[in-house]
Amino acid sequence: MAEQRIATSKVAGTWAWAFQRLSAVLLIVFLALHLLAAHFIGVGEETGEEPLITFDEVSVRLDQMLYIVVDIGMLSMVLLHGLNGLRTVMFDFDMFVKRKKLIDVALWVVGMATLIWGVVILLPFITGG
Amino acid sequence: MKISSFKWLFGRNSEFWPTNMKTGMLAWVGHRLSGLVLVAYVFLHLSFISTASMAEDGADFNALMETTSQPLFVAMDFLLVIVVIYHAMNGLRVVLFDLGVGIRRQKLVFWVTMAIAAVLIVGGLLAIWHLVFPAGGA
Repeated sequence: MAEQRIATSKVAGTWAWAFQRLSAVLLIVFLALHLLAAHFIGVGEETGEEPLITFDEVSVRLDQMLYIVVDIGMLSMVLLHGLNGLRTVMFDFDMFVKRKKLIDVALWVVGMATLIWGVVILLPFITGG
Repeated sequence: MKISSFKWLFGRNSEFWPTNMKTGMLAWVGHRLSGLVLVAYVFLHLSFISTASMAEDGADFNALMETTSQPLFVAMDFLLVIVVIYHAMNGLRVVLFDLGVGIRRQKLVFWVTMAIAAVLIVGGLLAIWHLVFPAGGA
């Protein structure tokens, strides 16, 4: 029944809409680079002939500032795009629109916490190896 | 909340029942479902990487990378490739429409982006094949 879903296209906001489009295009580029770097370019050169990702190999890469910046930047972009997408889906439902403030705060908390977690789990590669 | 209040979503007369959907609606539902899968995957991805924090020399991480190179996980990687490429190509279609490009031929644009997606998925399969069976090996 259509009346159970209210007109929600304006709930999410114009900035969220614009950001979602911009980040989408950027993520296509960075995801392609991420897959190439992780699986196809220079993998196994440091540690052997197997195309297998190892702790030592990732550590060698994460000694470079470029990899650290791109990794953290990409995680930020993925979280903003993913959680903003989740927010858009949720706001198609009346029960979530009613709690818009709470959901916005909760998603920011989840996003920031996950970003911090993401940086923490990269530390062993940066400091060790 | 009663189950019956979800009839608009799951019922045979629902506009979301697969055979009741037109092209644009099918693409829209597919975009949301694939998006939700990808959000879940990001957290799985981070939890796998977090194994590097468990042992001093990254032994747990290496063991997990060994496990995830087994056929079952590689097959799931291919499923992930399908979901990512669908979401990316359909997302590109949405961006094009928001820029005012191709709206008048929206069905054609959908099938063109899906054809590109199919080509990329085959490319992904070949790339995975190359990783599992490196040239000269197999």
